[in-house]
Amino acid sequence: MTENEEFYLRYYVGHKGKFGHEFLEFEFRPDGKLRYANNSHYKKETMIRKEVYVTEAVLKELRRIIEQSDIMKEDDSKWPEPDKTGRQELEIVLGNEHISFATTKIGSLLDVQNSEDPNGLRNFYYLVQDLKCFVFSLISLHFKIKPI
Amino acid sequence: MEDRMQLISSETFEERGRGRGIGAAMDVDEEGRYAGKGGVFERLGTDRDGSGPQKSVEGYILIACNLHEECTEEDIYDRFSEFGEVKNIHLNLDRRTGFTKGYALIEYQHFKEAQSAIEALHGAELHDRLLEVSWAFSRGPVGTRLSTRRRSEK
Repeated sequence: MTENEEFYLRYYVGHKGKFGHEFLEFEFRPDGKLRYANNSHYKKETMIRKEVYVTEAVLKELRRIIEQSDIMKEDDSKWPEPDKTGRQELEIVLGNEHISFATTKIGSLLDVQNSEDPNGLRNFYYLVQDLKCFVFSLISLHFKIKPI
Repeated sequence: MEDRMQLISSETFEERGRGRGIGAAMDVDEEGRYAGKGGVFERLGTDRDGSGPQKSVEGYILIACNLHEECTEEDIYDRFSEFGEVKNIHLNLDRRTGFTKGYALIEYQHFKEAQSAIEALHGAELHDRLLEVSWAFSRGPVGTRLSTRRRSEK
């Protein structure tokens, strides 16, 4: 892993329902720009749009978390397709590799267990939680908002 | 988000990439997500341009990496409070193992406290590992990628 490897990450989770299009999306760009968007129409909550540049140290930790997850070796072909419950998208560019996965929302490990590719989907499931946790901490410390 | 594919420059993605979103373009609903006011992202003001640490709403945030999986919030607090009052610590856990993920975010109110912590603790030992401590936020873009160089090396 070198520090100047190509790097990009985007995660989206959302659905369209009685409160309109509700979603959460964040993105880390190669130059360190972190963008965070949260649209929740429930009880007329407003949308949140925040951006900030993170340092190389943060990007490096992010790359470490991704590499440790083995997500770059997975494939979404056997994962449940996005449906009415919702949609998740995970797009990562790391060095010469590019993944762009899409699947439905995963409620719990039970959904993972019952899928056709439990090992792959489990890697995805835990990585997404670790990524959200990292991003929520960064956004809430920087902007002093509760991001969820 | 907008013009996202221009941000990543490899031209051979479609051959190497994997997943439903590769090749047959993923139905990314950019319009629906970022139309109008939705496309405006708020950012904190900077007092100066260029690079260097970016101030957060209530102070300065550091990131400490290479933490031992059994590192506790108290360990972090003990080391970092030598340099000023630690306002906040986020020591996130690995969702799979339940152990520490390996990084901590630490908030100080004042620039000087944060800077002294970096100077003293970057490279210091904690649980037989060397701490990596630095600023978490930057006033502007970081580094330059070498994708152009890599391409010409092919």
